[in-house]
Amino acid sequence: MIHFENVSKFYDHQTALRNITFSVEKGDMAFITGPSGAGKSTLLKIIYLSEKPDEGSITIADWELGKIKESSIPFLRRNIGVVFQDFRLLDNRNVFDNVAMALRIRGIGEYEVKERVMEILKTVNLRHKTDGFPKTLSGGEQQRVVIARAIVGEPTILLADEPTGNLDSDTAAGITRMFKDINAKGTTVIIATHNRESFRNTGRKVFRLDNGNLVGEEIG
Amino acid sequence: MYMLYSLRLAVQSVWREKWINLLSILTIAAGLFMITLTFFSVYNIDLATKKLPEKFSMTLYLNDRVSEQDRGNIIAVLKKNSMVEHVKFISKDRAMEELRGVLKNADYVLEGIDENPLPASIELRLKHESVSISGVKKLAADIGKIKGIDEVEYGEQFLNSMHSIRTGAQTISMLMVVLMSTGIIFVCYSTVKIMFYRRKEEIETFKLLGATKGFIRAPFVIEGGMLGAGGGVVGMFGAIAFYYAFFYKLVLTMPILKVIVFPSEIFIALPFTGLLLGICGAVVALGRIRFS
Repeated sequence: MIHFENVSKFYDHQTALRNITFSVEKGDMAFITGPSGAGKSTLLKIIYLSEKPDEGSITIADWELGKIKESSIPFLRRNIGVVFQDFRLLDNRNVFDNVAMALRIRGIGEYEVKERVMEILKTVNLRHKTDGFPKTLSGGEQQRVVIARAIVGEPTILLADEPTGNLDSDTAAGITRMFKDINAKGTTVIIATHNRESFRNTGRKVFRLDNGNLVGEEIG
Repeated sequence: MYMLYSLRLAVQSVWREKWINLLSILTIAAGLFMITLTFFSVYNIDLATKKLPEKFSMTLYLNDRVSEQDRGNIIAVLKKNSMVEHVKFISKDRAMEELRGVLKNADYVLEGIDENPLPASIELRLKHESVSISGVKKLAADIGKIKGIDEVEYGEQFLNSMHSIRTGAQTISMLMVVLMSTGIIFVCYSTVKIMFYRRKEEIETFKLLGATKGFIRAPFVIEGGMLGAGGGVVGMFGAIAFYYAFFYKLVLTMPILKVIVFPSEIFIALPFTGLLLGICGAVVALGRIRFS
């Protein structure tokens, strides 16, 4: 599903990732861990094509990222749901519109948009906040809106960058459960986190990054 | 399918930034109004210069020794010419009569002249479409070569000035239209560019969610079109106001201005022109959108 082969990324004279090789199979749930600045976010950005690698090759589903045309990038991104570290919620739009955005960009009709958004908001337990604006929500609620936006388009891959970073332990546990449920429905999930509790005793693959190098692969 | 949504986003954006958009619309309206005035002036100059050739004629002075038969042949040749509409022979006597008629009470200047000094002539009226500088010059040169014709006279200077006025008016108007259109495009360009930068974060999010270039561009192009069309509508009301002020107020006090024509079709063309220029400005402002 996702295959990295000797992938490196440099920023000016700094190495963000060096010779990273790993694979995540379809339907798997995997964690990328490491201290701040290890390269976790860069790795995720390369997957959703926000950054280009300087060396190596990457295959996602049937797409070879080195050969992908600029015009095909949006269509690849529609297969990848992303839970951004900084949320990237639109403050001038309510919860419904923020989630609906992921469907509207696909050209889906308003009737279907309404049905699917309501359904997904029910899943993340935010139906009562449909008309609320992001700034009026708690951190956990905002995180759930982002998750709803990431999964409403039924992507085959879900990436989450520090999804429990600023949340209390109960809310974090709830979010982690939510990812497990999403994965159980067949979506490949990759979570970047520095929080060991997130993957402890999960039985999932954990890739450990340090200073841009892949220093270990273990089962959590 | 996303066009409806794009339209909604464009309307929301126009409303959210209503003051800057209102300013742009008024600037566009002023530009379009100027274009209307330019068009109005050129249209009337063109119309006036088109009417003048209807009175245009050419006079051929015949040699006194031309026989009646040769004169008949010359007239026959002239009548066959495709540029000629009407041929009229004026004898020496008829010419003198006409001169006396022109002189009226001052015909004493002709006293003492025993022999009629005026030559017989042929007056040619040219077909309306033939009255061009190059056409008339060529015809005069060709006719001048016919045996028995001493001189060919036509309003060369008149034709040249008419041509200069027409070309000058057309050039100035063209420059004005290009200048004003560029100005309008620039206004739309700047407005859309500002909107684009204000929504940069939002656009980045759209891109990361999988929006195509079309989806990102559409609201801005619609917005540019709305500004242009809005300016066109305001400009149209300005032109209508000008029309009524000019024809129902000024013409009443100065009836000579009745000859001026105002093509009312321009009213309906203004919003469409604005729309087109607005879209152009928006497209230029958006430029290339990159995904990575």
